[in-house]
Amino acid sequence: MALNVDYVARETGTNLVRNVGLTIATILTVVVSLVLVGAAFLIRQGVDNAFTTWRGGIELIIYLEPTATPQQTAAMRTSLADNPEVKRSEYVDKETAYKEAKKLFKNSPEMLSSIKPSDLPPSFRVVPVRGDVATVKVLENQYAKSAGVREVFSANDTIRTVQAIAGFISNLVVLAALILGMTAAVLILNTIRMAMFARRREIEVMKLVGATNWFIRVPFMLEGLVQGIFGSVLAVAVLVFGNNLFNSQLDKRGIKLLANFAVSNSDVTGISVILVVVGITVSVIFSGIAASLYLDV
Amino acid sequence: MITLENVTKVYKGDVVALKDASCEIQKGEFVFLVGPSGSGKSTMIRLLNREEVPQAGKIFVAGKDINGLSSWKIPYLRRNIGCVFQDYKLLPNKTIYENVAFALEVIGRPKHVIKTQVPAILELVGLAKKQRNYPDELSGGEQQRVSIARAFVNRPLILLADEPTGNLDPATSVGIMRLLDRINRTGTTVVMATHDRGIVDSMRRRVVELDRGSIVRDQVRGVYE
Repeated sequence: MALNVDYVARETGTNLVRNVGLTIATILTVVVSLVLVGAAFLIRQGVDNAFTTWRGGIELIIYLEPTATPQQTAAMRTSLADNPEVKRSEYVDKETAYKEAKKLFKNSPEMLSSIKPSDLPPSFRVVPVRGDVATVKVLENQYAKSAGVREVFSANDTIRTVQAIAGFISNLVVLAALILGMTAAVLILNTIRMAMFARRREIEVMKLVGATNWFIRVPFMLEGLVQGIFGSVLAVAVLVFGNNLFNSQLDKRGIKLLANFAVSNSDVTGISVILVVVGITVSVIFSGIAASLYLDV
Repeated sequence: MITLENVTKVYKGDVVALKDASCEIQKGEFVFLVGPSGSGKSTMIRLLNREEVPQAGKIFVAGKDINGLSSWKIPYLRRNIGCVFQDYKLLPNKTIYENVAFALEVIGRPKHVIKTQVPAILELVGLAKKQRNYPDELSGGEQQRVSIARAFVNRPLILLADEPTGNLDPATSVGIMRLLDRINRTGTTVVMATHDRGIVDSMRRRVVELDRGSIVRDQVRGVYE
């Protein structure tokens, strides 16, 4: 059956205007929850950017000389594999190191242009069985003097603390976002329910003269869709603005310490797309549920 | 056109609304359902419109067993059935024209059809001049005419009327009955539940009498009694 575009647009508009207070409340809740989800993503991304090399329990990085021979590399590999204190290790060759450098310095191309893959040392990233400071120190001392080793870095306490705090904050934010997301979903459900209650006489007549359930539902689902679109677009705007503010403050105040936390625009775009898709999907699903649940008015 | 086979409908709390009722209504017939309040008249109307489903028995409308109808097909059944109620069920925030047009709009009729059908049907019920008025600006009789126009604008095969004159004075009721009679003459089957002795006696059409859920009389050219 051909849906009359005119009719659907008119009905949806009427519904939105009739419930304007509730509509605004719903949109704002969608905005806040999506902003929190986005913020959680950005914090994670920022921390990841700052400590690209220190992820997945890696506590120790053994940098070899760029000139290290294949025999020296193989000896190191065997030694690490045989060490009972080492859970696993990962070899990072020059090319991979260069790729990571590219990612790390994508906001400063002048820095990138000054390095070549051959300049970068290959390395072993080591995940120890026990991650406590004493064990790591022992391993560090053990490998610092091996043949072909240039330097051994261990994750120091600062990095650990920052990672732990950031992880905690982003989990907290995700939790808040989840709760608010549920609130938004319930609000959407309720808005649609109110809209349907306000129009129960129309719905009764529509059913009586043989309008299909989908025909009755569509304007209400569109109402949810409009709320989702407005909510997620506003959330993206807030997020982009917030990220730009953070970056400009970093530049202006010259906070070198946090410079690595900056999140690139392409990351923000990716997160924005996710937010819009999530916002729209959730609102359509919940308004669809409402429109089906409360059709028997 | 309509066949009921041993239909039983029991509401919650063992309230028996219809008990083993059987009856057959031919195409183009005009049938009065009479009986005291609670005898099952309205239930019968609601069963024919598939607003209710019986516990036992079969109901055929236009050759189809409507009890077994899947829910997505019900709207298409209802497009063949016009409904008129005692309380009109008009939408107060729409004009007379919009009220009637709404019935066509929501079943997806194109605009040009609506533009020709609606004035024609309003002309038929004698309300062409009140198209732009709202329901509360009309008398009860006029509002009922609008609701008949809405029920009939889609040219249904069957018109169900549940006490359409229940809220109207005798003179106005006569006008409504003339209208229903005219619609019946176009070949539409009309089933009307009523309490109105005067109307039934003067029309001399088929009368089906219900008493506590059972059909106790089925009389061609009958009277109310």
